[in-house]
Amino acid sequence: MWFYVFVSPWLVGFLVFLLGPMIASLYLSLTEWDTFTAPTWVGLQNYVTLLRDDPVFWKALWNTFYYAAISVPLGLALGLWLANLLNKQVRGQRAFRTLIYLPTLVPLVATAMIFKMVLAPSGPLNQLLGFVGISGPAWLLDSDWVKPALIVLSVWGAGGATVLLLAAMRGIPRELYEAAEVDGAGPIRQFWSITVPQLTPIIFFNLVMGLIGAFQIFSQVYILTKPVGGPNNSSQMMVPLLFNEAFSFYHMGYASAISWLLFAVILVFTLLAFRTTRKWVFYETEVG
Amino acid sequence: MSVLIQAQTTAAEVAPSPGRGTRVLRAFKATPFTYATLTVVSALLSVPLVFVVSIALSSDQTVNANTFTVLPHEFHWENFVRVFGTELPMGRFLLNSVLISLGAVVGQVLSSGLVGYAFARLRAPGKNVLFMVVIATMMIPAQITMIPQFLLFKELGWVNTFLPLIVPNFFSNAFNVFLVRQFVSRLSSDIDEAAMVDGLGFFAIYWRIMLPMLWPILIAIGIFTLTHAWGDFMGPLIYLNDESKMPLSLGVQYITSTSQALQAPPWNSVMVGSILLTVPMIAVYYFGQRYLYEMDISGGSAGVK
Repeated sequence: MWFYVFVSPWLVGFLVFLLGPMIASLYLSLTEWDTFTAPTWVGLQNYVTLLRDDPVFWKALWNTFYYAAISVPLGLALGLWLANLLNKQVRGQRAFRTLIYLPTLVPLVATAMIFKMVLAPSGPLNQLLGFVGISGPAWLLDSDWVKPALIVLSVWGAGGATVLLLAAMRGIPRELYEAAEVDGAGPIRQFWSITVPQLTPIIFFNLVMGLIGAFQIFSQVYILTKPVGGPNNSSQMMVPLLFNEAFSFYHMGYASAISWLLFAVILVFTLLAFRTTRKWVFYETEVG
Repeated sequence: MSVLIQAQTTAAEVAPSPGRGTRVLRAFKATPFTYATLTVVSALLSVPLVFVVSIALSSDQTVNANTFTVLPHEFHWENFVRVFGTELPMGRFLLNSVLISLGAVVGQVLSSGLVGYAFARLRAPGKNVLFMVVIATMMIPAQITMIPQFLLFKELGWVNTFLPLIVPNFFSNAFNVFLVRQFVSRLSSDIDEAAMVDGLGFFAIYWRIMLPMLWPILIAIGIFTLTHAWGDFMGPLIYLNDESKMPLSLGVQYITSTSQALQAPPWNSVMVGSILLTVPMIAVYYFGQRYLYEMDISGGSAGVK
């Protein structure tokens, strides 16, 4: 039984920090609890209120979708494009790659600080826009521009996808391109008919992981928007909402219910993504 | 996610470029358009970083008047010194970050190695079921357990200490366990079987024979844990209220949020803080990237297919 001795750290951690808290969270989501008095059993009331009577929850859900649906594919598309350029015989390739990858090494809090400064109403971005005669919006303070601003921030990290896809591109057999060239296919045709299909498994994997990560966006919203969630909740998202309910208002039951709905959303999207793989993801093992 | 991104970065350096053959194929020919695009994109992505350095070197007057420039036009190096003085507790923040991160790294390295080894080599009824549980737990978002964990740590009196941020790491993390298991599975079992015949116990085998072979993957896990703990914002935000307990990631944000609403934050000091937060991560990546390649084989392929 040495096995159980060796895995005991994980087993204890699983029971104490995961399974136990999950059961507690499920129970709490069926109660109303402010942490000062005993929890009151309310059944499914928290879920009903969230889904039927809470406009802020729906707004947060919509904003999270909006953010995830734009930032993740945009980052991947940009990464794919840049990786394809870097995969050519480029002089100074290491330097380009380093500059593109560097932003992804900056911790999120520092990134948020940088963008808080860049996107200030009279900050550098608006000064730059001013030079070309455009009067820029107040970005983080403007309910129409706060979400695009958060997307810009996420796209700054497109270097991660670039380097990953570049590594995958190097693994594509050269013979495929040689054959295509003999057949007279141009570089653009080769990109869409060889490079992209060969990369679909890795693109798919990163799309799923990226969406899961994007649904859980927190720090950027918390640091960059004031009040948290932006003017008129225009950038309120699932996790900041949950955080506020739990740690600002002590609505522990309500917040727990939000966490389970978040889990459900993530699960549905993950399953949906896997269901569609057959249509567009190309696995080499399936051929021949 | 970032794990896998970082994991495969070094593969780019290992694999030869397909363009580097006897003859350059058309698909790999760089055109002036290629150079123009790469130059513009690299420049755009770098501008915020250049700004950070420029602002960090600006005087208070420049920052207040909002007259800083992209390229630094003044060099107030003393900004890097004074944040460690009495005015701002940046030194304290930095020390707290180091303590929390080191605690987390020690915990993950010790526990993940042991558990991953057991899943790869030891035999016991129920092992496969347990391993499926390990994999399944990776799908559960941290927010589900956030509230009960907070209540648990509050009950234990651990709020406003580093313990909630360090202790869970001593119970290993599913992804790290998975990585170690994959790594051990690729090692030949001849040596540890021979050691077993010689009468060595499992723990001695682990400690004297496996551990020396495991260190590349343990260093990689250490790097991931360090990166995560160093940059973590939500954890410290939930558990640490005293300024003297805050790590740099929370402290930098704290400086901007406590300045008066009408008064602009002390951007030069904030950017010095951001640089202090970033430079160790660049250094860790630079010196550690060859170890991150270890993850490419195990993590990458298993994740993708």
